[in-house]
Amino acid sequence: MNLWMVLFNKELVEMSRNFKWIWVPIVFILLAVKEPLTLYYMPQIIDALGGLPEGAVIELPVPSASEVLIAILGQFNTLGVLIIVLTSMGIIAAERKSGVAAIILVKPVSYASFVTAKWAAAMLLLWVSYFIGYVASWYYVVILFEAVPFIDFFQSFLLNGIWLSFVLTMTIFFNSFNKSPGVVGFITIAIIILLSVLSSSFSHWLQWSPSLLPTYTNTFLLSNEIPDNVLSAIIVAIIGMIVLLVCSISIFRRKELA
Amino acid sequence: MELFNSINWAAIVPIIVPIILIQLILLIIAVIDLCRIEKTNGPKWLWAIIILFVNLVGPILYFVIGRRNQ
Amino acid sequence: MSAVVTVSGLRKSFQNEDVIKGLEFDLTKGKCIALLGANGAGKTTTLQMLSGLLRPSAGSIAFDGVQKGEDFRKLIGYLPQHPVFYEWMSGREFLEYTGMLAGLSKKESKERAEELLEMVGISNAKNRRIGKYSGGMKQRLGIAQAIIHRPKLVMLDEPVSALDPFGRREVLELMERMKKETTILFSTHILNDAEEVCDDILFLHKGEIVESGSMKELRDKYQQSKIDLVFRGESDQYIEKLSSLVEIQSISVHENKISFFVHNIDDAKHAFLREITDRNWPLLKFEISKTSLEDVFMKVVEK
Repeated sequence: MNLWMVLFNKELVEMSRNFKWIWVPIVFILLAVKEPLTLYYMPQIIDALGGLPEGAVIELPVPSASEVLIAILGQFNTLGVLIIVLTSMGIIAAERKSGVAAIILVKPVSYASFVTAKWAAAMLLLWVSYFIGYVASWYYVVILFEAVPFIDFFQSFLLNGIWLSFVLTMTIFFNSFNKSPGVVGFITIAIIILLSVLSSSFSHWLQWSPSLLPTYTNTFLLSNEIPDNVLSAIIVAIIGMIVLLVCSISIFRRKELA
Repeated sequence: MELFNSINWAAIVPIIVPIILIQLILLIIAVIDLCRIEKTNGPKWLWAIIILFVNLVGPILYFVIGRRNQ
Repeated sequence: MSAVVTVSGLRKSFQNEDVIKGLEFDLTKGKCIALLGANGAGKTTTLQMLSGLLRPSAGSIAFDGVQKGEDFRKLIGYLPQHPVFYEWMSGREFLEYTGMLAGLSKKESKERAEELLEMVGISNAKNRRIGKYSGGMKQRLGIAQAIIHRPKLVMLDEPVSALDPFGRREVLELMERMKKETTILFSTHILNDAEEVCDDILFLHKGEIVESGSMKELRDKYQQSKIDLVFRGESDQYIEKLSSLVEIQSISVHENKISFFVHNIDDAKHAFLREITDRNWPLLKFEISKTSLEDVFMKVVEK
């Protein structure tokens, strides 16, 4: 445990030295803020762009707070996911590629601690950034649109966050057997897209798929009711993460590091 | 001037100020980091231009792509 | 005299190509052993297998006092050929970090880091980021991290090859001091470096150990006396005459220089000189010397 803390602590220090603790939360804030602002100022934007042609009448309904939150989560699930993958695709791969892993793992370090400490640090960064971003979005939704009950805000935050954690864990998994961060990033993104497409086209059979969690979050925000399959999707996601981590550790242990 | 007065500043300040502030922080840390780092992916001066002149996206691009870890 | 590590039948192949072809050796506690060989002989691969970074294709590596399946890594220290560090850390931070990973407490790690920074001579740069270190400083930091937990066996992969003569001298002196505390195995392609600090030699060539033993044994074994002669004009006619005088081990001819390798240098010297003066041959040069390990090394490598 002590050794684990040493490894974990090193990750946190590294993230502060390369400013990840500042810029990743800021990116999430900007992603969050973009949506409510554009939705709110849409009439003015259209005006500024020359207005509508005479006679054309477009009814621009003021979106509800839930719709705005859904749009924000949509940003998190696309560009946010991209940032998560890009910032963690080298977390192990880059250390192997550069050769520093050869010095570290010749010390009596447990492979399980090495992998899980990195995973935990990346998770912490993800949840902190995601939380700050979502709070910022809450602020803008409340001042520009309408108040959102805290409980709705919080539940949607958790639900969607599980999917983001699953994505991160996949990135760590692909890190365990790839030396090139670029390849890790590419594979992870490809798998995420594949998963999302598959589970939305076959949603009847794949109701438990973790990649449906964002969809369930949207349903929840719109109807205020928790969809039936949420629990199974959550359980599958959590078991999936554990399995991915265990596999990462055992693959990594078997890998030749030189 | 008329346009200036027509804007409802009281309403707009709480919206716009946090964003400008955040943008500024991002810009500053990107510049600090660029000064301290030895090597970047691609020439340093190019990243300086991108950070300073490509609004918002510039610093983010720098952190995601320009920074060479280790 | 017990062995720190015993290696038997060690093999490694990459893509069906045998790089290491069955090594058998053990390393005696407290000795400094040089793993000598030309580039591509398999030195790095051998060290990487011993440090656990590569898995042997066959054979076994047994560390003294470690059961099979137990973690042997606390017993070893390893410096890769091109050490890479976390460049954002300072030298002191890196040493403290590796110390703690090796199982030292935070306090011990701090003290040991200070001590080693002093010992390897980079304590004035200890708070500088490693990214700003020179190659020689990184090499020394690498040595410090390898010995921070006082391992029983320290393995250094080409620790002096990349250094300038000044840095090389300092690192060799450092190894001289480390020798008193631990067993050292280091690889090099330069015999001189091996001769300077080492007790024993493992001579690796194309994945096999072609010669091994203590420095002294090898020197005695391979040191031969040699007489070089140069005559004016064609020298072929003299060779036959001279070689019939005393027992000759071998003869080699380079242009007009004839080299006789002999057992008894005094007999040969007298016989040759008497013969040459009696017959009044046109002698230009007469030189007595001894072959060095370097010659042996070259001979094996050229084969």
